Amino acid sequence: MTVRFTSALLLLVAMALAGCAAAPLDMYRDANMDFGAVRTVAILPLANLTRESSAAERVRDVFGTALLATGSLYVIPPGEVARGLNRVGVANPAAPSTEEAIKLAAVIKADAIITGTIKEYGEVRSGSSAANVISLSMQLIEAQTGKLVWTASTTKGGIGISDRLFGGGGEAMNTITVKAIDEIIGKLFQ
Amino acid sequence: MRSSGNCSSKLTRSLLALALALGGCAGRMPAPGTPVPVARVAVLPVDNLSGSAAPLKTIREELAARLLARGITVLPDKELDAFMTRHRLRYVGGVTRDDAVAFRQEAGVDAVAVTSLELYGESFPPRIALTTRLVSTGSDPKILAMESTALAGDDTPGLLGMGLIDKPQTLRAVAMDRLVAGLLAEGGRERTGPALRPASVFRNQPLDPGKGYNVAVLPFFNKSSRRYAGEIVALHFIRELVKAGRFSVLEPGVARQELLQYRIIMEDGVSLADAELVFGIMRVDLLFTGNVNDYDDIQGVIGAPKVDFTALMLNRDNRKAGWAVDTHARGDDRVYLFDLGRLSTANALAAAMTRGAVQTLVPPGTARQP
Repeated sequence: MTVRFTSALLLLVAMALAGCAAAPLDMYRDANMDFGAVRTVAILPLANLTRESSAAERVRDVFGTALLATGSLYVIPPGEVARGLNRVGVANPAAPSTEEAIKLAAVIKADAIITGTIKEYGEVRSGSSAANVISLSMQLIEAQTGKLVWTASTTKGGIGISDRLFGGGGEAMNTITVKAIDEIIGKLFQ
Repeated sequence: MRSSGNCSSKLTRSLLALALALGGCAGRMPAPGTPVPVARVAVLPVDNLSGSAAPLKTIREELAARLLARGITVLPDKELDAFMTRHRLRYVGGVTRDDAVAFRQEAGVDAVAVTSLELYGESFPPRIALTTRLVSTGSDPKILAMESTALAGDDTPGLLGMGLIDKPQTLRAVAMDRLVAGLLAEGGRERTGPALRPASVFRNQPLDPGKGYNVAVLPFFNKSSRRYAGEIVALHFIRELVKAGRFSVLEPGVARQELLQYRIIMEDGVSLADAELVFGIMRVDLLFTGNVNDYDDIQGVIGAPKVDFTALMLNRDNRKAGWAVDTHARGDDRVYLFDLGRLSTANALAAAMTRGAVQTLVPPGTARQP
């Protein structure tokens, strides 16, 4: 009886640990893609689902410089990307079709294209507490095939226990933006 | 105002003009902290980038009076007015090539003082921010010196508030004295301030230490709610690049004239095709541009200013971004005790941020030796 109970307990622990080791749900990475071959990327204008009209441009700006600063990828200047979008005639720059992505990458000589969505940006309130929050997702589209090879999302900021207990308004918007982008870049280079 | 007319001063002016022209041919900038050799200057009306009403005429007169007090002859108002009318000169934020030639030939001035008022408020605490540059005249206008100052009445309150300045005219006088002393490099020492390091820095390849670079700074794209923030941050960059001693910065008036003449409109940033054109027509090696996301001053005494911008440098050699920074800060970021280290205006904050940004491109003490 004791042996059976111990075995069942061990099985349960093993299953729990196996559950911990599962792939993260906020990230997808194409196992067949050679990410080392990507040297030049273009960041397209991000989709903005927030009330802050400049959120997408701000995040794109910070993301572009942060990606350049890693020294691993060259980011095509936004003006050149805009010229490419006009030339190809992309209907919705935040969500290009496969054909549009391939054409655009060829015009601006990019190995991959990054698209993204800003889901939350700004202050959130809950009762008497308030704090800044950012939630975003990014995707990497391979230039040759137009295939989605990587996607990740992150959320930073928000109302924590200390904000509820002591107030304070959370972290500055710039700080959590940088943290969110650092995490996204970390997921890209994993 | 005093005007020169005797033979010896004409001879001095001619020799000075010759020296300046030869200096221009050598393509060298005066080393930082070197007194600026100008004898006769035209002081243009003040370009108001403050977005508010300000005593522009008084500010110009006070600047001219301080230059006169330091032995520099100022082009009389009547002559300047006549010149501006004759040449239909309405833009006072820079000097074009044609105007620079006309200033030399018709008005006989060695340099033109271009002043931008970037902040002005008279209610307590009064605030003022000014940038002035001296641009050489002749066929190749160059920035000879550039200085800016930003002050608020409560910058140094001192014990029991005895250091507070509540009168705008007093603050203006202090700001003017600092501005002119810095502009003319009085005491042979360059004034420096705090430098705030950017959050992210990208450097593709270091600049050649033995080479001087011709650079153009285009107005930054303004995505903030503050009018003229793009122009103001561009001016800060120009000042820091001039002071770095490694760059010959194209006069913004000339850059503006070229952009207008070739109808270069950049709505979403600089494309490589635009950059190609700019490199060609402006004959520069490096091109700076960027975005200003925030440029917020405080109202009253509570709070802190906030500035957020990104900058990008395109290199003519490989047509690629050679340097980029992302920087954001608040005026109270460096404050840990008793408001020490507080920057009370967005202008002073932007100056510290651009200084920190340029230092990542050209570390201090690495100015090119002539």
